[in-house]
Amino acid sequence: MKRSLVILVGAVALGAALFAGSFYASQRATVACCTKPADDLSWLRNEFHLSDAEMAHIRELHEGYLPQCAAMCAKIAAKKGELESVLGTGTNLTAEVQTKLNEVAALRAQCQAQMLQHFIAVSQAMPPEQGQRYLAEMKQLTLGTNDLMEQSMSGDTGHEHHH
Amino acid sequence: MKTDDAPLSALLRFARARPELPPRFQQNVWRRIEDAEAPAQPASWLDAVAALILRPRFAVAAATVLLLAGISAGTLEGRQAARHDAQMNYLASVTPHALR
Repeated sequence: MKRSLVILVGAVALGAALFAGSFYASQRATVACCTKPADDLSWLRNEFHLSDAEMAHIRELHEGYLPQCAAMCAKIAAKKGELESVLGTGTNLTAEVQTKLNEVAALRAQCQAQMLQHFIAVSQAMPPEQGQRYLAEMKQLTLGTNDLMEQSMSGDTGHEHHH
Repeated sequence: MKTDDAPLSALLRFARARPELPPRFQQNVWRRIEDAEAPAQPASWLDAVAALILRPRFAVAAATVLLLAGISAGTLEGRQAARHDAQMNYLASVTPHALR
């Protein structure tokens, strides 16, 4: 009885080790082989099955967009710096603070609009079905997080109300 | 010993006892041989499982199944992780830090 139990426990441990070992080895091998960190656009090519010509066009759009994006980031960072200095150590919401908050919000909105415009341009460089899927996914990934936050703040669970 | 004592030999052959075999003697002998060759019945389910595990065919088959299952699940998981990483790389390149 005791010998049988030892055999059973040993076999289960050996089986678990065999499964776990092969799982982690193949997982790491797959990640190492499929991930190309040097190319930011590799996901687009694989996910949306794009041709070389489509990729070349999208790469052009992407490289054109990056400086605009960086410039917008710099503007927002500068405006946030101004806001920090206006806030200082004060405890009141002054008119100046409110103005800076509005300016940061306006810049963020401008940045989002520019980003959406880029997504639309990229989606138009893809075959129609893939373009729609790309746009939907990008909207969900970039704007969805804000929606979730707003929903959680307002207590809206996302149910539709029919009147 | 004399070899020409034929009448004595015949008498001795006649006098040798020839016991009757019990009924189904041969059948019973074969049954006992089969019982002796058959593997012993395990005392409990645990012994039965242990005996099964120790069979080389079962052990090799189970190890192969576990190995293939591990490789398949790992490859699937790795693909999803690689896809997610690539998606995050792209997203990080197009989404300004200020909006994240």
